Amino acid sequence: MKCTSFDLNAYYFGELPADERRGAEEHVAACAACRAELERLRVTQTALASIPDEEIPQRVAFVSDKVFEPNWCQRLWRPGPQWALVSAGLIAAAILLHGYMYRPAAAPAVEAQVIETRVEAELARRLPVALDQAVSRLEARHRAQVREAVAAVEKRAEIERKAQMAAFEENLDVLRKRFNVMYLASANMGGR
Amino acid sequence: MIFREVEDRDLIKRARRGQVEAYNLLVSRWEKRIYNYILRLVGDREDALDATQDTFLKAYQSLGKLEDEERFAPWLFRIAHNEAYSLLRKRRPEGEMPAEIAEGPERPRLYPVELRLAVKGALGRLSDEQREAVVLKIYQGFKFEEMAQVLGCPVSTVKSRLYTALELLKAELAPIDARGVE
Repeated sequence: MKCTSFDLNAYYFGELPADERRGAEEHVAACAACRAELERLRVTQTALASIPDEEIPQRVAFVSDKVFEPNWCQRLWRPGPQWALVSAGLIAAAILLHGYMYRPAAAPAVEAQVIETRVEAELARRLPVALDQAVSRLEARHRAQVREAVAAVEKRAEIERKAQMAAFEENLDVLRKRFNVMYLASANMGGR
Repeated sequence: MIFREVEDRDLIKRARRGQVEAYNLLVSRWEKRIYNYILRLVGDREDALDATQDTFLKAYQSLGKLEDEERFAPWLFRIAHNEAYSLLRKRRPEGEMPAEIAEGPERPRLYPVELRLAVKGALGRLSDEQREAVVLKIYQGFKFEEMAQVLGCPVSTVKSRLYTALELLKAELAPIDARGVE
């Protein structure tokens, strides 16, 4: 039953604009028929709620499943490290292309052989020296590390030794005092 | 609720960038509501589950077409609506009433059996469109404007369907009123 100009159902569902809602509230407060209609709506809604939502019997397949996997286009557009890889690839391709297009004129075969011989000779001269230097640096670093470790162990041992000596002297002092007390006690007993 | 909406928006943005875990989370948040919405329309659990799965698959595929992340719910329900109606069209001839929702042993019994039977019967006698309006409003709590977006029709049509359905339901369920429903 409707006796008003406003939308009673919209009022019930809280969808009236604020200004209309105020007027509706005033009307409902004074109109028994509208209150009865609102009560019927409430009872109907309550009755409908007697069929509650069900739990889903099985989870929906997740996107990580095969069926949801993004296609190659989506994968390509996804931001991430792959773009760095693509950029690196493009730069590498550009360098190669540049090298190919602007390569120097081919040197005569004889000159190439001479250069190869020189490079080998230079390598044979420099390599052993570089290796020796690297090994020496490594040994020096290890020696320094060992020295530091030994010094740390010695320092710790010295501290522990001092602590033990202090404890021993303290115990000895206590024993000496106890002995003195006993000696005095026995001397007194002998004097009687 | 506000925080939840913000989180959904964030998840949608992340899903659009291809972060599947964000979409997984969205699915887990919305699957129960979508499933129940479809179940109340089609009345069969297996069909409802299949349609729910299809809904999320199609939503994922067309996530880029979602213009406003704030309108995710009506947009998702619109896809679910299409899935449910596609199923209904395939399953039964024009105009035939849908089967009532199958009784499940696991469903909690909050009210007397006769009340639930009466409600199911009354819902079953509504047209598909009227029932869907009731489901969206009463069970899913959508605003009229959102319902219009889901159903793809004007707000006036939404109200007309819903109000007619409510009149029918009130008449059908009137005896319950006499017995007193809390």
